[in-house]
Amino acid sequence: MNRIKKAKLFIIGGLLSIGILLTAADHLDAPAVGGTTADITDFYAFEGANSDNTVLVANVQGLLAPGSTAEFDENILIEINIDNDGDLIEDLIIQAIPRNGIMYFFGPYAPTTTGLNSVINEDAQYLGQVKISKGTNAITSSFNGISYFAGLREDPFFFDSSQFNAIIGGMAPSGFNNPGNDDFDGTNVLSIVVEVPNALLGETFSHPAGTGVQVFNAWVEAKRKQ
Amino acid sequence: MKLNNLKYIAATFLVVIGLTSCDNDDVGVTVITPILDFSGTFVQEDQMGRPGINTVFSATPEIENDFNVTIPSEQGAAFQSLFETQLAGLHSAFGATYENNILNLDITTLTTLLASDVLQVAPDEPTTYFDGANVLTGRTLTDDVIDVSLILLFGGQTGDRFNGQDTNNDGTPDLPILVTDGVSAAGETPLSMFPYLEVPHGI
Repeated sequence: MNRIKKAKLFIIGGLLSIGILLTAADHLDAPAVGGTTADITDFYAFEGANSDNTVLVANVQGLLAPGSTAEFDENILIEINIDNDGDLIEDLIIQAIPRNGIMYFFGPYAPTTTGLNSVINEDAQYLGQVKISKGTNAITSSFNGISYFAGLREDPFFFDSSQFNAIIGGMAPSGFNNPGNDDFDGTNVLSIVVEVPNALLGETFSHPAGTGVQVFNAWVEAKRKQ
Repeated sequence: MKLNNLKYIAATFLVVIGLTSCDNDDVGVTVITPILDFSGTFVQEDQMGRPGINTVFSATPEIENDFNVTIPSEQGAAFQSLFETQLAGLHSAFGATYENNILNLDITTLTTLLASDVLQVAPDEPTTYFDGANVLTGRTLTDDVIDVSLILLFGGQTGDRFNGQDTNNDGTPDLPILVTDGVSAAGETPLSMFPYLEVPHGI
């Protein structure tokens, strides 16, 4: 029995029983949230064109076909969390929530409580807002050195997710193709982008992987109003 | 800037002058102040730090749902062993066992690192998921996070353990390609300035 046949048998016997279905970065990652207005698709963090700034990108509601009129949900709070001491608990948050076609931003600020439930501090030190962009033109704004964008954009994620699904389904014993196919090509996403001066993002600590680089932890959460 | 300012700005745009109906002789002018209600409690439904963690490592829909409503400080204790079992299972499905990866991380150390689903971000160093020199210092719009993840999970110490090799030299690949999906960032052309993301398709 050659390795391919062997692998195929193992795939059928093993992976099918594992029963997973890989999708994407975080697109449709769980049945409770997949396809809803609270479905986070991706999170990016990178140095801005101004190297004193960090850009934070939170994308939601992915795989939107061209022409989709999907909108941000006024009941969904998008919250970027920053941990400045490595204990995996947020020390600073940046919150974004839409009202009447405008995205409102709160923070970065230190929340009074951490965890699964959030409230919005309307008196946070840093506040901003930007009209939500629905077309080609990107409407942006800036307050206190922080830049804001919210609206429809091309989904920058790229992945041959269908071939991955074929692999784990036992239908592709030779693995990925070369070249593969980008299943996210031609799709849009709802994007929130903030560019924040590093001076407002707090302290750093030594990288948990032991590389010695000074970092903070960051993640994004989608939270629904009760 | 305080919220009062925000409310004022919004009000100047949204002031509505309402005229009374035609059959009423009185002409009234009403100023409607917009109500921006940010009150209430917001409860978590989804969470993400690094790309693909929940989708790759959570073996059942129940685990996927639970992972999204677990705070990062509790994810390691709750999910590391499940993730290790999953990664071992993915290897056994190909008749293999996990090999320490290019970072020389064993399966327990790797899944411990990845189970806490946060993205490390270096404000004073090059930001990248992995660029050959820097690792897990951020994520740019063009980082090939899928290939990096596949290499870390399936690449072994060389990074190309499962890359379609023809091990018996019969002209046919004997090993599957599992360390790259064959899709690069070539089709992505983000802007060099804010907001960086490309214009949407089909507008």
